Amino acid sequence: MSALTFTLKQRTDQRVDMSPLVSQKMVDMELPEIGAIELQNGKSKVRVDQLFKISGSDAQNIVIENSFGKLDFIGRELGGGNIRVEGDVGAYLGMGMKSGTIEVTGNTDIYPACEMANGVLTINGNAGDFLAGALPGNRQGMKGGTVIVKGNVGDRAGDHMRRGVLLIEGNVGDYCGSRMVAGTIAVLGETGRYLGYAMNRGTLLLWNKPQLSVGFNDCGSHTLAFLPMLLASFKKFNSKFSEIDIFNRVQRYGGDVSAKGRGEILLKL
Amino acid sequence: MLTKLTGGIVYDPANGVNGKQQDIFIEDGRIIKKPSKDAKVDKEYKIKDKVVMAGAIDLHTHIGGGKGNIARMLMPENHRLDAVAHTDITRAGTGHAMPSTFTTGYRYAEMGYTAAFEPAVLPVNARQAHMEMADVPILDKGGYVMLGSDDYLLRMMTAKKDQQAINDYVAWTIRAAQGVGIKVVNAGGISAFKFNQRKLDLDEKNSHYDVSPREILKSLATAVKELGIKHPLHVHGSNLGIPGNIETTLNSIEGVEGLPMHLTHVQFHSYGTEGDFKFSSGAAQIAEAVNKNKNISLDVGQIMFGQTVTASGDNMRQYANHGFARPNKWVCMDIECDAGCGLLPFKYRDQNFVNALQWAIGLEIFLLVDDPWRIFLTTDHPNGAPFTSYPHLIRLLMDKSFRNDMLATLHPEAQKMTTLASIDREYSLEEIAILTRAGAAKITGLVNRGALGDGDWADITVYTENKDREKMFSKPDFVFKNGELVVKKGKIEKVTWGTTHVVRPDYDASVEKNLEKYFSRYMTMKMGNFKISDDELTEDGRGSITVHPTVGGKV
Repeated sequence: MSALTFTLKQRTDQRVDMSPLVSQKMVDMELPEIGAIELQNGKSKVRVDQLFKISGSDAQNIVIENSFGKLDFIGRELGGGNIRVEGDVGAYLGMGMKSGTIEVTGNTDIYPACEMANGVLTINGNAGDFLAGALPGNRQGMKGGTVIVKGNVGDRAGDHMRRGVLLIEGNVGDYCGSRMVAGTIAVLGETGRYLGYAMNRGTLLLWNKPQLSVGFNDCGSHTLAFLPMLLASFKKFNSKFSEIDIFNRVQRYGGDVSAKGRGEILLKL
Repeated sequence: MLTKLTGGIVYDPANGVNGKQQDIFIEDGRIIKKPSKDAKVDKEYKIKDKVVMAGAIDLHTHIGGGKGNIARMLMPENHRLDAVAHTDITRAGTGHAMPSTFTTGYRYAEMGYTAAFEPAVLPVNARQAHMEMADVPILDKGGYVMLGSDDYLLRMMTAKKDQQAINDYVAWTIRAAQGVGIKVVNAGGISAFKFNQRKLDLDEKNSHYDVSPREILKSLATAVKELGIKHPLHVHGSNLGIPGNIETTLNSIEGVEGLPMHLTHVQFHSYGTEGDFKFSSGAAQIAEAVNKNKNISLDVGQIMFGQTVTASGDNMRQYANHGFARPNKWVCMDIECDAGCGLLPFKYRDQNFVNALQWAIGLEIFLLVDDPWRIFLTTDHPNGAPFTSYPHLIRLLMDKSFRNDMLATLHPEAQKMTTLASIDREYSLEEIAILTRAGAAKITGLVNRGALGDGDWADITVYTENKDREKMFSKPDFVFKNGELVVKKGKIEKVTWGTTHVVRPDYDASVEKNLEKYFSRYMTMKMGNFKISDDELTEDGRGSITVHPTVGGKV
């Protein structure tokens, strides 16, 4: 069976809610039925076959071609299977995703991996603000799974993050790890200002010296036995993180004391 | 324009009509007796064998005032689950626990309600509360002005000012804040919280003012009586939610010494300390006391299972309960030394012993209080449950087997602690009409509302008889507001705007002399700005004011 492929015919002026196009909702559908699904487009509704050329049949492997930055909610609450997106995507990529994989070749808008629960999400371009964050007002962001970003990330990465791993190959913006409950964020590039702002628990693993905020205290250099295991667990991903040298020596900074203060920033020595 | 409703079965307890088939004529927004023979009927609704009642009145529901907005801000996740799209005549909004103002009006009307009263209007926030209620379509509204923890009153009581001075202050405040009644919340306790007291029993003194809740209740209840305000002092008692608070509630009943008093959301004040979990039902004792003391009326504050938000002026008790907030976020605040405010999202769960027993206690109170004219149907929206659960509650009251089926699914220990299963009473349609219409209009002092007699305003609800009372009461066939058809088959047909009910007892104008000084020295606004003029409620072109008489007073 070939992958179920949606090729965008032309770009819309208004944003499109793509949440119905996930494997678990289309698994028993014939192509005409899928074409008849209505998507919210701005304030009107539009049929899938008006927007996309549809081919293939395997709902477990979905490909979205010609994608652009107004396709929101791709892979929302994905329950399994793979989604590959060629091009940019809109906001809320993989929101609440439960399992499976999503790979995007381009960039994303805000809130990628928002409240994601499990699975692997790979962004080959840049990710927008609030990567792996919580919806406004909610208390917990990403709750599990792995997010790999090969480009740069906007502000507030890991806001309210609860569990899981963010692997960022590029730079991150300001407020990385803000209000973090727990989880791990690893950044190969540079970090912005207010790193770990109001962080409760969790780990920020860095390769470059950050600009520390006043809520963090130097706890000295350490040899941590868990680091080689953690780093080895990244080997399985298609990412620069699978090629890094294993190390166990880090400088540790604890904070943010303006919040619970049990978070840590680990800087490779 | 003459409208005729033909052939309905009318339940109008205010006029002693109980299930009689009769026609109703409406002219110029009011119900009239049979018109003269040559009068032409412009519009006739054939409603043969359908149940006709006055529009329902909710006398205790939090639909206005700052806490509503804080609740909305606090719970965006609750709105996301219940987005309401606009139609050609209605506006968009969000719903569930604390709906947007427009959605509140539409949903109430779609259940056959035509009036709702906000029970916690802080005088200093009254303007905002009225503005917010001005955005609630269709419904009539009104507010109970909250006193009892305000600095000015407590200072007066510390200084042992005479009752007349307090009466003047109360009358002045209800006029300035455009209220229809006086409410007291945890008398003196909201203030005491700010002086680091974390509980305040009925006879415990507020440490700063040296005044006890009992004295405040007595003083305010006397003021309400002497001023002739028809709605009795609306009391949210001390010690809300604490096991054993039944004693406090019974003492409060005894403490007002026969003065009229309305105990609100009594379910939260009827807890004993028996049983393995030291939490038990005090419903039987409350009902006995209420049956015996004819000066007491009450509304229940029934809880329903599911997500809601508790919104209360009682910051002392809200603070004490903040650990139960679910989702875990909450707000407690002081409001300009006038009162306080506490909000915490709450999820009542049927497999939780305490919640399950709370549910049963509320129903026990409903079923054990004999006089339907002194008990009212509320969930203390949104504290016990959103108001949209009323039809379900009505079914629980009217259908014993349904009630017992529901009971059987609850936490087993809670089932053992309640006598609910052994209570055979089922409410009749007439009694429901009393609880939600005639009685509610009477206790709030409304003239020509909640009744279907000659000269009454034509607020009318028409239901199709259905054994499943939940279905019946959730979707009326027709709802008329002031004679205009506003709801058809449970959907909004036309959007109108209700009036604001107020009372205006007399007071000695010299009361302003001291108040002016006080406002200038201590408050964030001048006295002149504190007073809400009639124009503010009416100048938008859709609001209006209806002044109701005081006992022995003129309008």
